[in-house]
Amino acid sequence: MEKVNIERMPKWLIYVLLTLLISVLTWILGIYAEELEIVNIALIYLFPVLLSAVYGGLFPALFAAGVGVLALDFFFIAPQLSFTVSDLRYLISFGVYLSVAGLTASLADRLKRQAQQARQREAHTASLYAFSRQIGEVSDVSSLLDGVTKQLTQTIGAETSVYLPDSSGTLRRVHASSPDTSRDDERVREEEVLVRMVYEEGQQVGRGSQTLRELPGRYMPLRTEERTYGVLVLRVPADQRNTGNWLTEEQQLLLEALCGLAAAAIARFTLAEEAKLAHLTAESERLRAAILDSVSHELRTPLAAVIGSATGLIENDELFSKEDRMELLETIRSGSMRMNRLVQNLLGMVRLESGMLQLRREWCDIQDLLGVSLAQIQDIRGHRKLRVNLPDELPMVRGDEVLLEQMIDNILGNAIKYSPDGSVIDIEAKVSEDTLVLSIADEGSGLTAGEEQRVFEKFYRSDSTLHVSGTGLGLAICKGIADLHGGEIAIASRTDGKQGAIVWVRLPLPEMPEKRSGQDGE
Amino acid sequence: MGNEAHAGARILIVDDEPQIRKLLKVTLAAHGYVVQEADTGEEGIRQASIFHPDLIVLDLGLPDLTGMEVLMRIRDWSGIPVLVLTAKDREADKITALDAGADDYITKPFGMGELVARIRVALRHSAKSTDEPIIRSGSLTIDLAQRIVELNEERIKLTPTEYDLLKALAAHAGKVVTQRQLLQQVWGNQHDEGDSHYLRIYIGHLRKKLEEDPSQPRFIITEPGVGYRFLTQE
Repeated sequence: MEKVNIERMPKWLIYVLLTLLISVLTWILGIYAEELEIVNIALIYLFPVLLSAVYGGLFPALFAAGVGVLALDFFFIAPQLSFTVSDLRYLISFGVYLSVAGLTASLADRLKRQAQQARQREAHTASLYAFSRQIGEVSDVSSLLDGVTKQLTQTIGAETSVYLPDSSGTLRRVHASSPDTSRDDERVREEEVLVRMVYEEGQQVGRGSQTLRELPGRYMPLRTEERTYGVLVLRVPADQRNTGNWLTEEQQLLLEALCGLAAAAIARFTLAEEAKLAHLTAESERLRAAILDSVSHELRTPLAAVIGSATGLIENDELFSKEDRMELLETIRSGSMRMNRLVQNLLGMVRLESGMLQLRREWCDIQDLLGVSLAQIQDIRGHRKLRVNLPDELPMVRGDEVLLEQMIDNILGNAIKYSPDGSVIDIEAKVSEDTLVLSIADEGSGLTAGEEQRVFEKFYRSDSTLHVSGTGLGLAICKGIADLHGGEIAIASRTDGKQGAIVWVRLPLPEMPEKRSGQDGE
Repeated sequence: MGNEAHAGARILIVDDEPQIRKLLKVTLAAHGYVVQEADTGEEGIRQASIFHPDLIVLDLGLPDLTGMEVLMRIRDWSGIPVLVLTAKDREADKITALDAGADDYITKPFGMGELVARIRVALRHSAKSTDEPIIRSGSLTIDLAQRIVELNEERIKLTPTEYDLLKALAAHAGKVVTQRQLLQQVWGNQHDEGDSHYLRIYIGHLRKKLEEDPSQPRFIITEPGVGYRFLTQE
């Protein structure tokens, strides 16, 4: 605090204080003059010099030395109360005194300035360090630019704005430290031209740089070694328009360092963005290939059967026996049904993924929905035995009946598709804590290890079951539906000694509404 | 076959797809119905008043008017049974149409047998002038006059709510009844959304008392997202 006070004092006050100090000192020394040697008194007069050198600087120290010598001569050197010196040897003492005072003062002054510079450098380093740590943490360009401009406003005190190229390469002002109200068109255009120039050439221009020094601003390219990512504009504050040396050397360095850091961070974001895009493109490419593959196969096979059978019937009606005709018609029907399933699955997937699906939340009785599904699969179950094991009172879940039924349909359909005719399919439901667990186990070939997650991916077909027709969408849809209901779905090979796969669906059980009184009685 | 009973019944098809119209026309004509076609909603409404159909098959996805508008404008002046055709994933449309007075729905793509069965049920209901006092479905008998329900000649004890629910379903045998219609008929006007929970519980109770295997019901089947249907067995 004291230091700050002294530094902020007006210059004349320092000299007044020094004069006062020396007067008091002289008065005290006058009292003890009898006991003190003249040499000691001279040494004591060095105190104000040291003090003023440390706190006041070179000139106050020299002033203190001068006043000290005069006081010493006037009050203590014979003849006292006169500037005359009787013993000329004292002149040598004065010379030594003044040299010591001068040297000390200039040394102290230099030390002080060095300390000040060190402090400033430390502050800049600290702020750079804090800033570099901060941009390590930010995750988007906007908050990064926010940090940069804030930092610059704090350390340099100038308004900043940042220009970045948009997707078409046009430079746009994406960030400003303060909303600008006083921007007229001409200045905006001038700024844009300069920004474009700096962006293209990668060299800084404006006040304090090598080029166009008369501009009222400073244009810094945000560049790494490879390329320029944008331009940062510092506007010289109005009250400093006429000062030649606008930024100190330290501030210059800081500004350049900040721009470098910001450029590196933007480069990092840009590269991450590009990598993500490349990944997405590859992923959607993979998906597109899978869709095309699956759809073309799943659509063409039944279409071939339908078209073939129908044209056969139309063109050569008389060739076929009644049984042949029925068989061809049956082929047409099953082929169309297969296409219908594909279309439904595709539409279901699109609906689930589009996010436009409005989930209805009604009370759903799983036993009831299971009944609907069991009726649905009558045609395809063949001679498989379906064993249903449900507790007497199964609590209801909240959800969309149609979607839940579709999910059960798909799981049951899979169980039938992948298990041999005549085998047993076990369907079980139970309550476990606050979830309802539905499990469906078949006696098919089970899963290959490592497939437990992959089978829920869109269009994934296990290599071991390629002989069974399918799109690889069924389980993906089931997972989508389970997720929508806040539930889970899992699949694994059976571990109860039998071969086959088992699917679990867990659905959260909400609290039951209070039963209304006086409703009905047994 | 019961179609002799309605032979000559007049059916109006309102659909913008020529292929579907052709399919319906050929099949329904083969079943002995007299068929008239309309390819727009306006034309459908016009035909409904000049052709005097006994039943209308109405596609809900029409190009000019929505199927719902056609249905409401016909319902303004006529109680002709209307069977709506919808896409599979439009449950909300089905319910809206049923609650607005459609008699039943059928989802595209449909089997012809299913469609003809629905048409027959709808025609039978509209032809019936008074409620028959006794409803039979296979081994199940419901005597509406005496409030007696018998399964395999054995009397089944039902609570008043269960009986009302069964009666509401059986009175529309073969036709879908929406959850809202059931709540309205059994609980009256004081029902609210949360009551669908009780509806399901009572359906569960009824199935336990009537069905051999409640997981694979024969009498009361669920139309997910829409409602229930009481099946009559010949």
